[in-house]
Amino acid sequence: MITRRINILGVLALGGGLALFAGLAQGQQDQQGTKLVADSKPAPAPAAAKTTSSASNSNATAAPAAPAVETEEAQLAEGEKRFHDNCGRCHQAPHKLAPRMMATAIRHMRVRATITDEDMRLILRYMTQ
Amino acid sequence: MRLFSRISSVRLLAAFLALWIAPTIRAQDQVTSQVQQGTTPQDQVTAQDATSLQDSETISPVPIFSAGLAYNSFVQGGTDHVHPLVSPVILVPLGQNWLIENRETFEIDLAPQPGSNGNYKGYLQKEVDYLQLDYIANRYMTVTVGRFVTPFGIFNERLYPVWIRDLQTDPLILPISTGPSGAGTGAMVRGGFNATNKVEINYATYFSTLSTYTPLDSDRAFGTRAGIFLPGPRLEVGGSYQHLLQDDHSNAFGFHFAWQPPPIPLDIRAEYARSHSGSGYWIESAYRLSQAPIWQNELRHVQVVARMQQFYLGQVVDGSLPGVNTNMFEFGMNYYFRDDIRLVSSYGRQFAPEGGNMNVWNIGLTYRLALPVGHGEVR
Repeated sequence: MITRRINILGVLALGGGLALFAGLAQGQQDQQGTKLVADSKPAPAPAAAKTTSSASNSNATAAPAAPAVETEEAQLAEGEKRFHDNCGRCHQAPHKLAPRMMATAIRHMRVRATITDEDMRLILRYMTQ
Repeated sequence: MRLFSRISSVRLLAAFLALWIAPTIRAQDQVTSQVQQGTTPQDQVTAQDATSLQDSETISPVPIFSAGLAYNSFVQGGTDHVHPLVSPVILVPLGQNWLIENRETFEIDLAPQPGSNGNYKGYLQKEVDYLQLDYIANRYMTVTVGRFVTPFGIFNERLYPVWIRDLQTDPLILPISTGPSGAGTGAMVRGGFNATNKVEINYATYFSTLSTYTPLDSDRAFGTRAGIFLPGPRLEVGGSYQHLLQDDHSNAFGFHFAWQPPPIPLDIRAEYARSHSGSGYWIESAYRLSQAPIWQNELRHVQVVARMQQFYLGQVVDGSLPGVNTNMFEFGMNYYFRDDIRLVSSYGRQFAPEGGNMNVWNIGLTYRLALPVGHGEVR
């Protein structure tokens, strides 16, 4: 009986510790995120540059810049939808991984969860943006 | 001896905590080191994003070390069980189309032995869940050789890892047609493709050879599983079939169902399986309280789960299945500290003749970690 109580108390204590630690870690991440957002606010140009560079890579001229953005956004929106459709079938939505890790994880999921080639590409694009 | 048992439990707890903290500390070290070097994580992410935006497919994958960890305490019919588990996963991508995957499981079921004055004893179980080489041949087909998780139903292959499953106990019908170890040794062809814009089809067909070498046990069998997934309503239905190529050459079949209605965070899953050893089903629903009208900040971390299952004895006795007709109801509540760390708890009541009625309590922790091996950064 004492051992049972010790086991349950041990798990509860560990859970409490993890909750505290996770809360602290989350707080740190939020602070870092706030700082990063604040740091990135004065420089919105790179975002535009990224989309236009994407457009230029696809042999687009200056005029179709807006459609290129729409295409990019549409692909990301579709990727997010496919992500929730497919990944959510088995587990909670994971946080984003580094792009090179994500490239491996999505290949793993293509085999294990038999997601389609199209789903794989769209989810990878969404998860690496 | 009791003191030794307590010390062992404390060691297991400490090891679990250390494994959980290690990647967090590592990530913090990375941030500190980047700040010292004058680069922020945002710079790094921006540089990676620029690459990603040009073409996501040009990203070269990096090997990953991942693991599922669990520390569960069960009280089953009045008997305590302490069940620590570590399940490391290694993924090694090769070129554009190859992947080596390996998952192993190390677990101990510690329980007080009769006549040992309450001392907890158990032995380490080692299992090779899969060790396979995958070749993505084209958009319709992947060829796999080696040891693989038997694709019969959905629980064994998709929901088995401790960090994924919503209830920590196995369904009663899980051993049906998944072989002595839940895995096969041989070759498999599988894939998923779009039949139309609104219909996806997935399939897996395999052949497994007989292996009596522990922990690589498997039966000689062939089988197939196919499913139809409708992305709109997020509904999947499918069926499985297996033919044993040894002993009595029996057949087994099963059906599975999964539905995540898009407007609400609800998962409904079910399986039915039938073989000469028995038949049965389980149906499970899990609801995440992220849309609760009150206390949303707190309740969005909470998931409530319920599962009902029944097993009916077949013509042949299988030691891994219940020896009598059994019904079981389970209710659980999980708390997600993050998407990868959970406090899990459940209560179940088993109904079976010949003194098989019992309560099953569970409380525990699960954690999933993922680390790059080589040049990769945790975002």
